Amino acid sequence: MSSNDLLVVGMSHRTSPVALRERLAVEGKALEASVREIHDSALLPEVLLLSTCNRVEVYVGGEDRERTASAVAQWLEGRAGERVSDYLYVHHGEEAVRHAFRVAASLDSMVVGEPQILGQVKEAYFASKSTGSLGTLLDRCFSTAFAVAKKVRSETTIAEGSVSVSSIAGDLAKKIFGNLDGRRVLLVGAGEMGEAAGKHLRKAGASLFVVNRSPEKAEALARELDGQARGLEALSTELAQADVAIASTSSPRFVITPELMKPVIKARRHRPLFLIDIAVPRDVDPRVGEMDNVFLYDVDDLEQVAQENLDARRREADAAERIVTLEVAAFERWRRSGVLKPTIVALRQKVRGTLAAELERTLPRLSGVTERERRSLDKMIDAMTNKLLHRTISELKAHADTPEGEALLRHARLLYELEEGSEPSAPNPVVRKNLSPAKGES
Amino acid sequence: MWVTALFGLTAALYAIAAGLYVLFLARGTEGGATWAARVLGGAVASHGAFLVSNWAVLGTVPTADIHQALAVLSLVLVLVFLLTARSQDRLHVLGAFITPVTLLLFLGAAFRRGVGPVPEGVKSALLPVHVGVNVLGLAAFALAAAAALAYLLQERQLRQKRLGGLMQRLPALDVLDTLGLRSVLVGFPLLTVGVVTGTIWAVQLHHGGFGLSAAQGFGLLSWLLFAGVLLLRVAAGWRGRKAAIGTVLGFLSTMVVLVGYMLRGTEGLG
Repeated sequence: MSSNDLLVVGMSHRTSPVALRERLAVEGKALEASVREIHDSALLPEVLLLSTCNRVEVYVGGEDRERTASAVAQWLEGRAGERVSDYLYVHHGEEAVRHAFRVAASLDSMVVGEPQILGQVKEAYFASKSTGSLGTLLDRCFSTAFAVAKKVRSETTIAEGSVSVSSIAGDLAKKIFGNLDGRRVLLVGAGEMGEAAGKHLRKAGASLFVVNRSPEKAEALARELDGQARGLEALSTELAQADVAIASTSSPRFVITPELMKPVIKARRHRPLFLIDIAVPRDVDPRVGEMDNVFLYDVDDLEQVAQENLDARRREADAAERIVTLEVAAFERWRRSGVLKPTIVALRQKVRGTLAAELERTLPRLSGVTERERRSLDKMIDAMTNKLLHRTISELKAHADTPEGEALLRHARLLYELEEGSEPSAPNPVVRKNLSPAKGES
Repeated sequence: MWVTALFGLTAALYAIAAGLYVLFLARGTEGGATWAARVLGGAVASHGAFLVSNWAVLGTVPTADIHQALAVLSLVLVLVFLLTARSQDRLHVLGAFITPVTLLLFLGAAFRRGVGPVPEGVKSALLPVHVGVNVLGLAAFALAAAAALAYLLQERQLRQKRLGGLMQRLPALDVLDTLGLRSVLVGFPLLTVGVVTGTIWAVQLHHGGFGLSAAQGFGLLSWLLFAGVLLLRVAAGWRGRKAAIGTVLGFLSTMVVLVGYMLRGTEGLG
């Protein structure tokens, strides 16, 4: 009966293979169409679809559990073209709220603390909003999730310390050169990792040069990264001018050797060179790292840093989970009070209405009641309403969202003769004015 | 009496600030740099009050003797550091190198063995110039040496691939290298004038005699070291570790001159 229920059905990197998620992924404009589809297919009141490369999740608000879960599973199955139930998780109520908060705060991410997820959740939120399938419940749930994510980010160090090889390379370059504006970055080879690191440094203001065995590939990569291509024969002259060099060729032998570097070092006149070797097998002879003013890092060095930073983030995750727990509790107080609110309002109206009607009947028989006395009588009616209903309302609140609570609610409605018309129904009747979950009615 | 109290207070505040800066560099204590800077600010105020009261109460001027000169030098050094650190946030960690030197120089001002005031007969119009340029030049070199030490530390972290907090707190190599170069560029002409005036003064003292004392020797040595560092930097494009080592050695040698003078006074010149 609780129309304030919330549910999430989905799969993530923890539960499903990437090949399946790829088939289910929904991007950009298609997101709105898919939300509409789910919304219409099962007449679900509130729908939010979150689709990233690591998860596909459908959040539904304000409906009956079993029907919703199977409707969403059916939609996913139709899209995947195969049975997906083995990969799905379903969370209800409080657990669904916790899940939403953890996802937005990047606690459920593959790389804990990575910042993209919040943007993706926001995208899902706006897509859902623009299709009109966002009701009070999901709206409030996700607005709170954004606030929780922000709080986690500012109060813990969960997002600190780079955890990708390319951003660590960028950090290190900044530790050597300070500002990367106008620095020369040389990509030796057109490997994927090199491209990612190059992109990162390009964004920080460096200018990019590409040297590759195949000139076509060099051209293509240079175009993509807004850089310039050079032939392989230019390797040593380019090395002499570069500030950062990233080697990612597929050569089985060392490409950058001490013999090659000796004249390069001389030509560089003591300028520091940051050499990043992300090729496997390695491109740079380790002896080059012992040369003056050369800082050589290979992929193991960078990955070790990534691992250390990731471990630090995981340790920090406990603090973040505590924030989430507090916020979930506050949200739950608000959500439960939402179920009761229409009944409580109806109760008050009923009792106060009865008392006021009796007063109206009696007043003509009294003589000379002044305006002031009249106001006192009104106040008396308010006080009587509160006193009479005090126990009933506090019991309802104390047992909200439990089986006893639901029975109590039914009995209260029966005993006080509340018509079915004021039965709580979707869309959720709680007004948006009541925003702060911490101040939820309790 | 309260001149002594001010001296003690200033020294204590410098010591606390030095401790906080070193702690911040080593451990990255939360808000450590802010507190260190606040205490250092207090030390500067107290130091200023000390100098003013010294001048007002005791009538001593900065060029009266080496102690007064040191008391001024340490203040100038801190002011130069604070000004530099304002330009770039991360340069605050240099306080870990600057403040201990400041403390030592300031304590040196109270070190009353060996030299008294400059005797009347030795006084010369050159003296204020000699003291003034040396004070400014030494402050510049101290800053250069602090940047050089930080450079060597940071370079070691990067070479040994220790990418922990210490590396994060230290400024970028290029920033330190540039600061080192600029400081030496400022300090070198000052030191040159210092050496020249010192030599002329010594020559005057001996009525034309020209004996090279230990102090003069080291003065000349540090001048040569800095000249070498500058020449190699500008002409041969030297930078980084070797330039940093040269800068540190140059500064140490100027400190030897200072200590030599402290111990032997003008006799050291004769």
